Amino acid sequence: MRQWQTGRRVLTRLQPQNARLGIIHSLASHSRHKQSFQTLSTVSQTLEHKGLNESLTPEHAIYVSSSTDPLFNLTLEDWLFRNAPRSSPLLLIYRDSPCVIIGRNQNPWTEVNFPALRAVGTSFVRRRSGGGTVYHDLGNTNFSIHLPQSSFDRRATGNVILGAVRSLGIDAQLNDRNDICVGPYKISYPSRFFVISQSSRGPTRTENRRSSTHLSHCFTQNHLSPLPPVLMFVCSNYVSGSAYKIANKRSYHHGTMLISTKLNDLGELLRPQESNIVTKGVSSVRSPVSNLQLSNPSTTHETFTSAVVDAFRKEYRVHSGICMVEDTEDIKNMEYIRNGMAELSTWEWAFGQTPEFSRTLNKTFPWGEVSVEIRSKHGIILDCALEFKNAQINSTTTIQVAKKCKSFCVGQRYGFLREAPEDTQDTGFSEYPTSGSRPAEWVVPTQDTKSWLLGTLQ
Amino acid sequence: MRAGPLHIRALHIKKYTEEHELVNFDDATGVGIVSITDHAQSVLGDVVFVELPTVGTTFNQGDQIGAVESVKAASDIYAPVSGTIEAINENLSGEPGLLNKSAEDKGWLCKIKLSDPAELDKLLTWEDYKKTYVE
Repeated sequence: MRQWQTGRRVLTRLQPQNARLGIIHSLASHSRHKQSFQTLSTVSQTLEHKGLNESLTPEHAIYVSSSTDPLFNLTLEDWLFRNAPRSSPLLLIYRDSPCVIIGRNQNPWTEVNFPALRAVGTSFVRRRSGGGTVYHDLGNTNFSIHLPQSSFDRRATGNVILGAVRSLGIDAQLNDRNDICVGPYKISYPSRFFVISQSSRGPTRTENRRSSTHLSHCFTQNHLSPLPPVLMFVCSNYVSGSAYKIANKRSYHHGTMLISTKLNDLGELLRPQESNIVTKGVSSVRSPVSNLQLSNPSTTHETFTSAVVDAFRKEYRVHSGICMVEDTEDIKNMEYIRNGMAELSTWEWAFGQTPEFSRTLNKTFPWGEVSVEIRSKHGIILDCALEFKNAQINSTTTIQVAKKCKSFCVGQRYGFLREAPEDTQDTGFSEYPTSGSRPAEWVVPTQDTKSWLLGTLQ
Repeated sequence: MRAGPLHIRALHIKKYTEEHELVNFDDATGVGIVSITDHAQSVLGDVVFVELPTVGTTFNQGDQIGAVESVKAASDIYAPVSGTIEAINENLSGEPGLLNKSAEDKGWLCKIKLSDPAELDKLLTWEDYKKTYVE
C-alpha cells in the first residue's frame, strides 16, 4: 500500500511545476474576500502578499478554498494530499453547496434518500476516503489536516479542532471516536436529526436503520418523550464527524463542522427510502447532531475558519499565511483537477463503485404474489430471481415470467432501470392477435412485474 | 533461479515492499500470492472493506490493484510485481476481518502470474522490510 489514489487509475500524477497558471491570492490581495474574511485577516500575523496570477502550488501550509463546488474541493484536497511536501503539515478549509457525500465503499441506496434529493436538486457525491455519509451545505465547514504519517495522531488532529471550537467559547469534548461533541446529552436539547458520522462493519439491513430513524423522528416531535433506547449509548451531540486516510508517508484527517446547517434537510436526505437491502461494504452509524450556533450564535464560517487556522499554527508551529484558492477556469483546467472532477461525476465512480448487495421486493398482483430478489455488484444487476405465491397462473407460465423478467433486468444498472427498445416488441402479442385468441398467459404477469420493477428501480 | 533436472521442491520466496505488500512467489508455478503484511493490518485496525482487482486483468509493478478500508482510514494496494491476476480471495468480500485475523495467510488478496520474476530482486527481504518501520 502506498500513496492513496482513486480506484480507476484515470488520474495521472501532475507534477507541480507543470501546473498551469491559476489564480491564487492571499487574503489581503483580493478585496472581494477582504470583508468576509476580515476576522481571518486580523488574526493572521503573516499574510502572504501574492499577485493574482500565480499557479496553484502545493507548497503552502494553509489553504482556504473559496469554491463551494464539492467536486472541485474534493479534488483539490486529493491533489494537495498527493503533491504537497510529505514532511510538512497542511491545512485545507472549504465549504460546499448542498450535497450528500457518501464514503468510498458505501451503498448509496442504503444511505441516501434519492427521491428527496431529486426533489430539492441536491447533488450526490462519492468521496475518495472511507467512512460514512455526511451532508454538506454552506452551514458547515470542512477541514482537512494532512500530516507525515510519523507524526499522525488522530487524537492530536482532533484536538486541533477541539481547541478551535473552545476558543470560540464553546464547551466541547472529544469522544472516543474523535468526534467533537457539545454539551451533555439532554432530552430537552434540540438535536433533532441524525447524522452519519462513522463507519461500522458488517452487512446492514435498511429496515433496522429505518426503525432507528423512526424513533428519532418521534423524539423530535416531543422533546420531553423518553430517550429512545437506540440512543442510549450516545452521550453527546455531534457537531463534527471525521474520516481518515493513511498513505505510506502521509495521512489526512478530514471532517465537517456543523455551524448552521439545515438539520431538517440533513435528516430528510439521509433517510433512505429503500428497504430490504442487504449490502456489503461500509454502513454509517447514525448520531444525533447539533449546530455550533446553538452553543454560540455568533459562530460563523469565518470565525471558525480563523479559529482552526490559529489552532493549526499553534499546534504545528506554522507561521505562514493563508493561501486562498479560487475555482478559476485555469485551475479547473489543470489536468489532474479536470480529470479528478470528471471522474467523481461518472456513473462508474458514483454508482459503479457500490459493493455487492441484494434487495428483496414483494408485490401482490391480481394474478398472484411475487417476490423478487435482485443481486447487484458494481452497480450492475447480476441476477433477478422471481418466486410466486398463491399464483393464479400455472407453473409453466411462472417459469416464463421469471425468465423474461430476469433477462429484462440482468445487465442493467441498478436504480436506472430502463425499458429496452427491443423489449417493446417482446410483448408476446404476436402469439394472439391474428387468430383473435387471448394473449399468452405470461404476457400480463410479465408486463405487470416489469412495470412495477421499472417504477421501483429507476 | 529455476532448478535443473534435479529439481525436487519448489522454491517459495517471500518478498516485501515499503508500502507493506507481501508477495509469496512459487517458483514452480510462477504465481505469487499477494497480501498486506501483518504489520500493515495492525496499523490499519479493523478492516471493514477490501476492494480487489478483476481476475484476468494485467498490471505493472506499482499499479494500484485494490484498496483496504479500515475503521481508521482507506489505503490503496499496489501491485508488488507485474503480471496477470489469476485469482482473488472471494472470502474477503463477506469477511473483511480475515485481513486482521490472518493477513499473510487466509487474508491473502490475489494471485498474480508474474510476467517478470526478476522484479522480485528489487523487492525487500523480511529483514530490510522490518527496518522500514522499526526505529
